[in-house]
Parts: sequence; structure tokens; C-alpha cells
Amino acid sequence: MTRLILGMPSKGRLMEATEALFGKAGLGLARSGSDRLYRGRLSGIEGIDVAFLSASEIAGALKDGKIDLGVTGEDLLRETLKPDDERVDVLQHLGFGPADVVVAVPEAWFDVARMSDLDEVSEGFYQRHGRRLRVATKYLNLTRRFFASKGVTGYRIVESLGATEGAPAAGTAEAIVDITTTGATLAANHLKILDDGVILKSQAVLAMQAKLKGDQRVAALRAGLSRALAKP
Amino acid sequence: MPGKSSAERQALEAQNARIMRVFEGAGFDHIAPDILQPADIFLERSGEDIRANSYVFTDPEGREMCLRPDLTVPACRYHLTHAAKPDSEARYCYCGPAFRFAPDQRAPSEFGQAGIEWLAASDAEGSEAQVLALTIAAVRAAGLERYRVRLGDLQLFHALLDGLEMPKRWRRRLVHHFWRPQAFRETLDRFAAREEQSRTSISGHVDAVMGRDAGAARSWVEGELDRRKIPLNGGRSTAEIAARLAEKAADRSAHPLAPEAVNAINAYLAIEGDPVAVLKDLKAVAKGEAYAQALDQFRRRIEAMTALGLTPQDFSFAATFGRNLEYYTGFVFQIEAQVRQGALQVAGGGRYDDLLSDIGSPVPVSAVGCAIGTEKLLLAAGAHV
Repeated sequence: MTRLILGMPSKGRLMEATEALFGKAGLGLARSGSDRLYRGRLSGIEGIDVAFLSASEIAGALKDGKIDLGVTGEDLLRETLKPDDERVDVLQHLGFGPADVVVAVPEAWFDVARMSDLDEVSEGFYQRHGRRLRVATKYLNLTRRFFASKGVTGYRIVESLGATEGAPAAGTAEAIVDITTTGATLAANHLKILDDGVILKSQAVLAMQAKLKGDQRVAALRAGLSRALAKP
Repeated sequence: MPGKSSAERQALEAQNARIMRVFEGAGFDHIAPDILQPADIFLERSGEDIRANSYVFTDPEGREMCLRPDLTVPACRYHLTHAAKPDSEARYCYCGPAFRFAPDQRAPSEFGQAGIEWLAASDAEGSEAQVLALTIAAVRAAGLERYRVRLGDLQLFHALLDGLEMPKRWRRRLVHHFWRPQAFRETLDRFAAREEQSRTSISGHVDAVMGRDAGAARSWVEGELDRRKIPLNGGRSTAEIAARLAEKAADRSAHPLAPEAVNAINAYLAIEGDPVAVLKDLKAVAKGEAYAQALDQFRRRIEAMTALGLTPQDFSFAATFGRNLEYYTGFVFQIEAQVRQGALQVAGGGRYDDLLSDIGSPVPVSAVGCAIGTEKLLLAAGAHV
């Protein structure tokens, strides 16, 4: 049988939390050779290789079918996959890395509470300011989909690859779509979340190729993780 | 399939030559706008939905460029750089590739467009009728025999709303939602029922500016920002923010939209049929000077079509018909070929009076034009030859 490839986060809090959970489930992550190598094996279940990748690479590799399973953020998964993509399934929510993808505007915008307000503001923005209302984000697809579903069209996305929350203060965007856990960073940047501006409530997930449904190794992995999640 | 065979290329070129002969024969100047365009015009002018389908990239000096997603804006840019004055009358025709990203690959991302743009025409309805006549002549010259012409008129709808009593902001909302039937219906219902609006996170701010005039509302906003040490990020002025708050406050006390107004809107939107026959219905739904004037233009346009040898009674008008492209401001049309799979849009056009100002003309320039999808036309014309 071909060995399965499991994509695991290679750095940061997501890596730590994932390794802790797998450890609790009695699944070890043995890196082959030195820690600098990006390949390893899962101990505890036969037939699963591990590839250490960044969380966004894992979402992309799942989409392209380059890996069979992977731990990543739901936000990245939804951003990467098309809404009607049925090739990748979420096998298990992992209970950590909670974060909301939200639409936030300057706190000074006392007249804006909802997406419909943002729509109204964006409508006259071009005439008034000679440019479109700009939304800074790294979530291009989630933003386009959500704004379209709310009927907001008169804006443009400014791609942001870091410190998105600083864009309105820096004058490179008016609004942002970003991830937040406590809202503290948004508040510190004088931004507020719109009343109906939560695009996605995200957490870390184990996702897999849908065609692997029924694979015994996948079932064993899931059972192990469920047990670990149920432990206090 | 990628690429075109020698035979496919020849067939397309022969068809396009026939189309362009029609346009050139009518006195339109055959120009070749640039394929590579500065991206900002498209990015700022179009909404994100269009931008999401454009090929945008950075040139070696860091300027954002794009492959033109259509030829209308490049033709208008050509005009602004070449014409003696922005509002000098000009008639252009063109034929060339345009590029739009098709995420699902159901449509080609590289396709041909042949079209005309008539700028600063002296006779508005006459030029509209002539653009339609030329578009029909061009698709016929390409061999299309079975097609349907659909017409709409955005100006009529605007004029209808102008004549109905309601706060300006409501009118703007209704115009804005015109393209989305469900959102439009909900907005209309809300204005008509005046149901108690649910409180939101800014209701307190609206309470605070109730009864204040624009100046006082602005002072309140500035005082609040100051007191709570909130910086004025986001590029909007306190006057702008206060004005919208004041509008929201005024909304609360506004009378609901009168049943007659709701009925007029509903009756208008239900109108469809051949444009000659619907005149009577159009006339019956509303009065008001702006509406009467727009209706007059509608009638003159039909007369101009007849004078050009068209048979408008064979066309279909629908009050809700328009194209969800932000350019259009008045008359709109579309030509659909009847193919085995159903209707295939092969051409579309209309009036877009705001575009030239939006891309930098210091004076307003009226504009009407059309674009034909050349591959689609070849497919449709070949389907029943």
C-alpha cells in the first residue's frame, strides 16, 4: 500500500499545539535525520509519512492533491479551496487555534455598523475621493465571496501579507479583513468589527482527501485524535 | 482547446473583416488601442468583481499594468490622448483581443472583441439607434440569422424614482440595488413598511445626532473622537461621517414610502414586451417631468430605429433588463443568438455617459457603443449555416 503523506505545521504555535495533541494521542512525530529536515514519520500508526510545511502550504498541497492529510487553519483551507470543492474534507476539528476572520473598519466611522453601511460608504467613495474604497487583506477569496454575498461591490482589495491591521492608520487601505482571536490588536489599532462582519469562525483542523474515506490508517488517526481531544 | 488551427484562424479573420467593413463603411475610424494598459484605471473604476477577473501584474519599473479586460476603456483612453478636445465628436471602431480570468475555465480567458464607440454625438437617441443598427448589421454580415434583440433603459428607472417622493438616500439605495432583485425587494419592503429597525452598534450615535443640523452633528462627531482619543483613520472626513449619521437620524422620522410609490415601482418593473407596445404601459405607471422626458427619449429612440430600417416591434424590452456593468447609464441592449444549447449573448452595448469623466476627462463626454464577442459570434453564426 502506498504510504500516506500527512502535512504538519513546521513552525509557531500551530506546530506546538499540533505536536502536543498528537503526543497526547500517543502519536510521535519522528523527524528523519536532523530537525532541519522537512520529512518524518508518524509513530503509532503504520504507513504515514510526515511532511513539515507552513500552514498555508499545507492548504495548497491539499488542494493540489500533493498530500493526503494535513493540519492547518480552517481560514487557510477555506481561502484556498473553492466553496464547491468536494475533494478535500475536514476530518476533525482540533480545538485549538481559535480565530475569527472578520471585516473591520476604523473606529472613527461612527456611521458604519453593518456590511450594508460599508456598501453605502463604498458607493459614493469613488466620486468623493477619486478612488475605490480599499480593503487590505491576505484573504482574497474569502473577502470576495463574503462581500459578494452581502452585495458589496464598489471596493478593491489591496493584498496585504503582514500587519494588515496597520493599513488604515498607514493610509494604504480604509478597511481590513483579518484574523483575530481576542480583538485586542484590532482595538489597539482603532478598528472595530462590523456587527455582521464575522466571515468565518476558524480553528485548526485535520483535513484529508475525500477519496481516503474508509482508509484504516485515517480511521486510526481520527480515533486517536478524538480520544486525545476527549481527555481533560 | 489551446490555439486556433489555420482554418479556424482564417474563418475568424474573415468574419472579423466583414464586421469591420460594416463599421468602417459607416465612417467609424478603425483604431488599435493598446493591449497593455495601466492597471489603475481599471482597478479604480471597476469594482472588485471585475478586478478579480483581470490579469494584473507589475512591470520592471514597479508600475501596475494589466491586460485589457475589454476595449471600451482603452478606446476612451485613446480618445482622451488623441482628440483635439475631450468633447470633440469622435467615432471609433476596433477589433482585437481582450483578457479575463475565467476561474472555472468554462469561458476562454482570451477572447476577441469587435466594437464601436461614438463619443460626444450631437443626437443622443439617433446615435443610440444607429449603434444598435450597426451592431445588428455587423452580426448579420457575419452570417447570424437567428437572434433576439433585448433592450433596456436605465434612465427611465432613474427618472421614475426621481419623480417619487422619498428621502434622497432611499432613492440612492434603490438605484444601487436595482441589479439584485432580492436585495431590491427587501429594501423596498423596508422603506414601505417602516418596520422598527433593529438596534445596531451605532444606534447610540444616531440617537446623539437626532435633531441636530449638519454643523452640530459634525461638532458632536469631532467631540467624541477627541474625548475617546480615536484618530480619524480611513480617509473620510468628520463632515462625511456626520452627514451619514444625520441621514440615518432623519430616516427614523421619515414617512414610509407611500403605497402609490411602491405600486408605481412594482408596475414599472413588471413591464416587458415589444418596445412599441409597452409605450402605453410605460406612460401609465408614473407622471413627473423627469419621467415624461425620459419617456420622450425612449419614444424618439424607437422612431430613430424605425427610420434606420429596423423593426423595433420585433425586439423585446424589459424594465428590469440591463447589464451589470457599471458603465451603463441609459439605453442598453444585447443581441442573443439562438443556438442549440439556448441563448448565447454575442453582442451588447449602450450608453455610458460617466466613463470618460471617471477616467480623467475634465468635461463630461457622452458616449454610446457596442462590443461583439467575435468567437461566440463565429460559433453561433456557424451553428445554423
